[in-house]
Parts: sequence; structure tokens; C-alpha cells
Amino acid sequence: MLDQIGFPLIITLKIAGLSTLIVAITGMIISYILARRDFKGKWLADVLVTLPLVLPPTVTGYLLVVLLGKNGVLGSILYSLTGWSIVFTWQAAVIAAFVVSLPLMVKTTTAAIEAVDREYEYAAFTLGRKELDTALFITLPLAKKGILAGIVLSFARAVGEFGATLMFAGNIPGRTNTMSISIYSAFQAGNNDLANMLVVILIVMSLLSMAITAKIINDWKI
Amino acid sequence: MGIKADFRKRYYRDKNDKKKGVEAAFTLDAQFEVGDELVVFFGRSGSGKTTALQCISGLLEPNGGKIVVNGDVYFDCHKRINLPVQKRSLGYVFQSYALFPHMDVKKNIAYGLKGWNEKDKEERVDEMLQMLEIKGLENNFPSQLSGGQKQRVALARALAPKPSILLLDEPFSALDRVVRMKLREKIKEIQRELKIPVLFITHNHVEAFTIADKIVIFHDGRVQQIGTSEDVFYHPKNEHVAELVGLTNIFEDSMLVDEDEMAGTITIGCEHMKVTANRPDCDIKEKISWGIRPENMRILPLTDKNSSEENTFPALVKSIVNKGSSKVLALSVKEHSKLLIAEIGNQSFENMDIKTEDECLIRIERDRIVLF
Repeated sequence: MLDQIGFPLIITLKIAGLSTLIVAITGMIISYILARRDFKGKWLADVLVTLPLVLPPTVTGYLLVVLLGKNGVLGSILYSLTGWSIVFTWQAAVIAAFVVSLPLMVKTTTAAIEAVDREYEYAAFTLGRKELDTALFITLPLAKKGILAGIVLSFARAVGEFGATLMFAGNIPGRTNTMSISIYSAFQAGNNDLANMLVVILIVMSLLSMAITAKIINDWKI
Repeated sequence: MGIKADFRKRYYRDKNDKKKGVEAAFTLDAQFEVGDELVVFFGRSGSGKTTALQCISGLLEPNGGKIVVNGDVYFDCHKRINLPVQKRSLGYVFQSYALFPHMDVKKNIAYGLKGWNEKDKEERVDEMLQMLEIKGLENNFPSQLSGGQKQRVALARALAPKPSILLLDEPFSALDRVVRMKLREKIKEIQRELKIPVLFITHNHVEAFTIADKIVIFHDGRVQQIGTSEDVFYHPKNEHVAELVGLTNIFEDSMLVDEDEMAGTITIGCEHMKVTANRPDCDIKEKISWGIRPENMRILPLTDKNSSEENTFPALVKSIVNKGSSKVLALSVKEHSKLLIAEIGNQSFENMDIKTEDECLIRIERDRIVLF
């Protein structure tokens, strides 16, 4: 039983942790560009980033297979070059988690950056600081509450990811059976004890992360 | 060396209006030349002062023209030069101060000192703390400072990198009168010490006239007049400037009725009033605009023995507003459509004992009439 809990817990934390790290970095870059730049096709970029939020996760998973599967548009190139396919690997689960949680990060962080008064940035420019410098030391620190909220939401979404992961990474015991997928499997197999344990662990994890986030945000004065 | 500016900036209601050839909703056409002095940009809200300042700073790009500061070309439309704001070596103090809320006073002041070694940075911050008299506040965050202290920190931050021009956008608008007066003196002192051009925006005419070496008057996107406080105050070029400098009673396009070269006076017909003014040195036109400040109107009791003296008219008191140290009266002169505004001291007001709807005499002091 410990094995049946241990592996899903570790693989879930690994997948959600890695995907959240990538989401946080790419999300901040995309959000800054969306909040502070005006360019042709901005609305399209916004729609593309937001799409996984409104699409059923199974559709997102299916599109990922079509794009990155062994016979997929990009996946076939990867397969012909390396003889390796990403489908049904833990890396595939990271990609699935990344795609579904990115919109949450981008939406939250874009709103937070937009709320930062531009005069702070202009003040930094007049003091000789370049845009990148200003973004890193003025804009993002002033938007940190929104950014943290985005990171927590993205992590929670990655931990809870089910549909796209199942389509793209499968449910392979010892490889891609994350907590959410393991709960479904245990429930299907009638192993209610295991399902209960996994559910309790997930609930405790969620409550803990919420409490820690609330504490951090409360402690930040700005 | 100073600033030579001649540029235009257009604003459109919709960003596609420019492509469609729709006329701009607002056009700033700024032309002025000033030296290493304290220059006040003076005008109403929406007259183009802040836009002009932002174009000089590089936060806005003009649509055409040229800006040269201390011999450096900041912007030249023909040569396609637009120096980035970071390279303009300027200090900018924002109306809202824009102090970085996540940094303490020391870090705020040191923020513009990138590339300085730690020792020099420390020394410069210390120098600024002393200059602006804010020593002891270095570890405070902006949220722990009063309005006046924030303004001093904003000034210290702007001056720390030794800018070659200082721009101040309505820096004192949120401060009380006493703090304002102290900071005005501080700005003058700083300008005298650094000898750099200081551009100061305000729409408070007392502030403009007490602080300025030179005033640039903006109205409706155009520079109306440039001159010393005295020039602008006593010789406004047109009715817009006259109104801005406090000539509340303005009479446009009055007719010249008579001219007495011997006495050096002219008589101006203004509806049913005939007003005598001193003859100006320049050529006199048929139509004359003139004005008088409320404090240069005298109120006399109806029974005054000098009621037949020049520029004295019977009037009806329409309203009385208490300004604290004085009273402002709105008066209607018989058969004259426009209300006249007069301001009199509390003592004279009490002596006369007048109320709303009372009749009295008003006298427009000839020597105080301003022609433009």
C-alpha cells in the first residue's frame, strides 16, 4: 500500500513542481509582454494562451498527441531524429500539466502587472534603467502577490490534472500514474482504502499550500 | 546652456484615426528657448504642459520637430534622432512622487546610481540626505513618510545621478501651504547651486510667480507667452494669459472711443460703460481688450462724495464670498451684461456694512487697468 501511495505522490510532486517552474518563468515573460506591449496579433496570442482553460482537457490531450505523438506534426520529427517518443512518459505529463496550467498563470500575472502603476517604470527609466532591469527589479516585485497567486493556482491545477495527462501520458503504473489518475484507478478497481488515503493526502496538501500562500501574502506589506 | 525646443505632439481619439486621416483631438505645438534657469510651465489642466515635459524627457515621442538640451540633441525628427529616456541624463519628479514602495529611502535614492562603486554610492546618498534634510529617514519605506518627506525623497532620488536637467511635474500639488513654501525655496536653492535648467509645472499662479525665473504660458496646446514673472503678470499678451495671471475681469474687443494725448489717456467704450485708461506706448487699435484684477477694484458707498470721478459706476451686489482674509463680491453694473468681480479687505468690508442686493459704487483704478 505504501508503494501504491509513495510513487504517485512523488511523481505528482515531480511533474507538478517541474511544470510549475516552467509555467512560472514562461508565464511571467508572456504576461509582461501581454501587459506592457502593443503588437499586431496580440489578441491571437492571448486567445492561444487562454484556449486550454476553456477546452475540455481530453481535447487538449488529444491535440497534444496529434502534435507531439510518434506520428504527430512535431513528434514524428523528434522520433526520426532520436528514435524516442514523448507519449506515455512522465515528461509528457509535465507538458500536459504545463499546457493546462499556463493560462491560469498568465491570466493572474497579466492582471497583476497591468495593475502596477506605469509611473514606477517611467521613474526607473528616467533614472537610467533599461526595460529588462526595470521589469526584474520594479515591475515584477510590485506584482509579486499576483505572481504568487498564479504560481499556486498553476501548481494546484498541475496536481489535479487528469484528462490531458491520461490522453497524452497514459496511466502506466510506476511511470505516469499520478495521484489524480491513481485515485481514479483505485476507485475503478474497488480499492476504496487506497482511494481514500490518496484523497486525504491531496486534500491535506491543498490546504497546506493554501495556508502557506495566505501567510506569505499577509506578511508582504506591498 | 539651456533648452531649445520646437516640436509637435498629436493625440488622436482612436489609434486608427491617424491612418484614416482624421484630425488629431489635441495637438501640442511647443516652441521655446530657455537658459540654465528655473522655468515654470504654467497653464490650465489639459493645456499641454505635462505632454511637453514628457516629450522633453523622452517618455513620449513627438510627431515632429527638434529638442536640444545643453547642446545635446534629444530629438530631431528630420535626422531621425530620438535619444532613449535612459540616455537623456535627466531628473524627473512625478506628481505622485512614484517612490518605489518596496524599497526603503536609501535604496530609492541609490536606484539611479547603477555602475557607481559602493563607497561613492554611499557618499552620494548621504550627500542627498543632507541636501534635502531627510537624514534619519534612510531606513523608512515610502508608506512611512509624510507627503513633504516623500517629495524630498523624490527630489533626492532625481538629483542623485547628477542630472543635467531637472523636470518637475506639479510636484507640490498634494502638499499643504507651509510645506509648499519651504519646498519652493528648496527648489530655488537647488537650481542656484546646480545651475542646470529646471522645468517646473504648476497651475497654481502664486507658485508660478514666486518661484520662476521665467514663465512659459501654455493654453490649448500652444505656448502663448514666455517672459519673466513681471512681464507675464503686468503685460499679458492676450486674454488667455490675462485670465491665467488672475485678471478675472476681462473685456474683449472693447471700442476705442477717445484719445487724449495731452492727458496721456484713452477712453474705451464697453457696452454702456466708458472707462478711462492710461494711453499705451504702442500703436492703439480700434478694438482693445483690457482687464482688471479683482483686488484693483474699489467699492464705495452710494453716498460717496466722489461719485462722479472717472471710472466710477453704480452697481448692485449680487453675491459675497468669504475668502478668509478678504471678501469677493460679484457686482452687476447697470445696463452692463457682465458681472464684475471685486476683492476687498475685511476691514473695508466691515466699515461699509454692505449686503447682497445692496447698491454701491465701484471704481476701476485707471493705473491698474491692463491692456492687451
